[in-house]
Amino acid sequence: MIRIGNASGFYGDRFSAVREMLTGGHLDVLTGDYLAELTMLILGRDRVKDASLGYARTFLRQLEENLADALARGVKIVSNAGGLNPAGLAEAIDRLGLGAKVAHVTGDDVRDRFPEALTANAYLGAWGIAECLKAGADVVVTGRVTDASLVVGPAAAHFGWGREDFDALAGATVAGHVLECGTQATGGNYSFFTSIDATRPGFPIAEVEADGSAVITKHDGTGGAVTVDTVTAQLLYEIGAPAYLGPDVVSHFDTIRLDSHERGVRVSGVKGSPPPDTLKVCLNALGGFRNSTTFVLTGLDVEAKAELVRRQLESAIGAGGLTWTLARTDHADADTEETASALLHVRVKTPDAKRAKAFSRAGIELALASYPGFHVTAPPGDGTPFGVYRAAYVPRSSVPHRAVLPDGKVVEV
Amino acid sequence: MRVPLGTIAGARSGDKGGDANLGVWVRTDAQYEWLRAELTVARLKELLPEAGEVDRYELPNLRALNFVLHGLLGDGVASSTRFDPQAKALGEWLRSRHVDLPEALL
Repeated sequence: MIRIGNASGFYGDRFSAVREMLTGGHLDVLTGDYLAELTMLILGRDRVKDASLGYARTFLRQLEENLADALARGVKIVSNAGGLNPAGLAEAIDRLGLGAKVAHVTGDDVRDRFPEALTANAYLGAWGIAECLKAGADVVVTGRVTDASLVVGPAAAHFGWGREDFDALAGATVAGHVLECGTQATGGNYSFFTSIDATRPGFPIAEVEADGSAVITKHDGTGGAVTVDTVTAQLLYEIGAPAYLGPDVVSHFDTIRLDSHERGVRVSGVKGSPPPDTLKVCLNALGGFRNSTTFVLTGLDVEAKAELVRRQLESAIGAGGLTWTLARTDHADADTEETASALLHVRVKTPDAKRAKAFSRAGIELALASYPGFHVTAPPGDGTPFGVYRAAYVPRSSVPHRAVLPDGKVVEV
Repeated sequence: MRVPLGTIAGARSGDKGGDANLGVWVRTDAQYEWLRAELTVARLKELLPEAGEVDRYELPNLRALNFVLHGLLGDGVASSTRFDPQAKALGEWLRSRHVDLPEALL
């Protein structure tokens, strides 16, 4: 059995989770997911400003605080925090001067094939991570790998799985899917939250067996719960058809068996089949600029008030690219001002940064010249750039998936 | 009896690019038989009129249905002008909708 924990479900998750997971009980490997589709765009904008960035800086600060402890405990760290620059992150970890053996995985960046994109990253699988761990790495950082690969890689290295051990790979993929969003597996964001103590859920752990089955659990004494229901909730997150496609295996979610276990939930029975010949690519391009504001409409004549301010704003800057929604949160004859008020949201999307800024000026200029009771929930800012996401597919054989080992040696995966 | 779907069903929803997914599950076999018959694509669209093209998948092993709501989020989270651009609360909206539930399933 290998005991694999998770300490992050997104870039911005609980900072102290790395420490909590290291000190809360035994682990073999600690993983962290830092890369959502949106995060790739944020890192892409970081990289435009400074080419030495493009990785999740929070992770580096977490290692500054905890890497010495992880090394002393013999816990391996595996994370996709490398983002758009895993080599840069690996160097930064080396510079911490703790003598950790740091490896990284590259090849996911395929911008050369999508020149119009700000970021273009193929979802790599688990085998690069497995190569790094087999070479004795203490820390493995990657760019865009599938979230579940952070669990599959360590399990595959530990048990010596082959590329065609599809059932085992599928079982570990499902365990990885349960772990990848952190506390969403342990009672966070859970429909039946009133039936557990959801105040501060602990982060999840998968105890993976040689056949790919696993027990999902968490450290003793942490909050939240691991039940068949909390695990079911997370299994249903961000999935499509029951045949769940991945770079190493297709995992059949309609074969998963969940059973209560004294320390959590046992996940077994998962069938796997060969993966497709293509890898999915996450593409982000700059789409333009956006801005928004919310007008508060209190009391009588809500529809007419909305109509007036809409007419005023549209005559000031034009109607193009504006989206309006009126939320009727108001109540007749209400005994608080807030419950007497409706919210009129307006958003602008435009290719022109100046127009996004003109939107806020036009909105503010209405302050003494519009409907009675005019105010906004917060004054609009200057507007911000936004991204457009799309998926593409490239042949697996065309992607140079590489493991860069602690001694600098490069292994083609 | 007329009750919110969430009286017996849990849900979790999220984003995949411009699509949203919405998983719904219940906790007994009898509830699942009812859910599977009740919550067709047409019924889901009645309960969530903002849904457009919808795919529906059955996961009897989890007593769950999974719906993919195509195009609900436009070009994806960073550019969506939708009120809930990552569809995080779509499931809780569905759970709050009232349905006719056989009393024996409560």
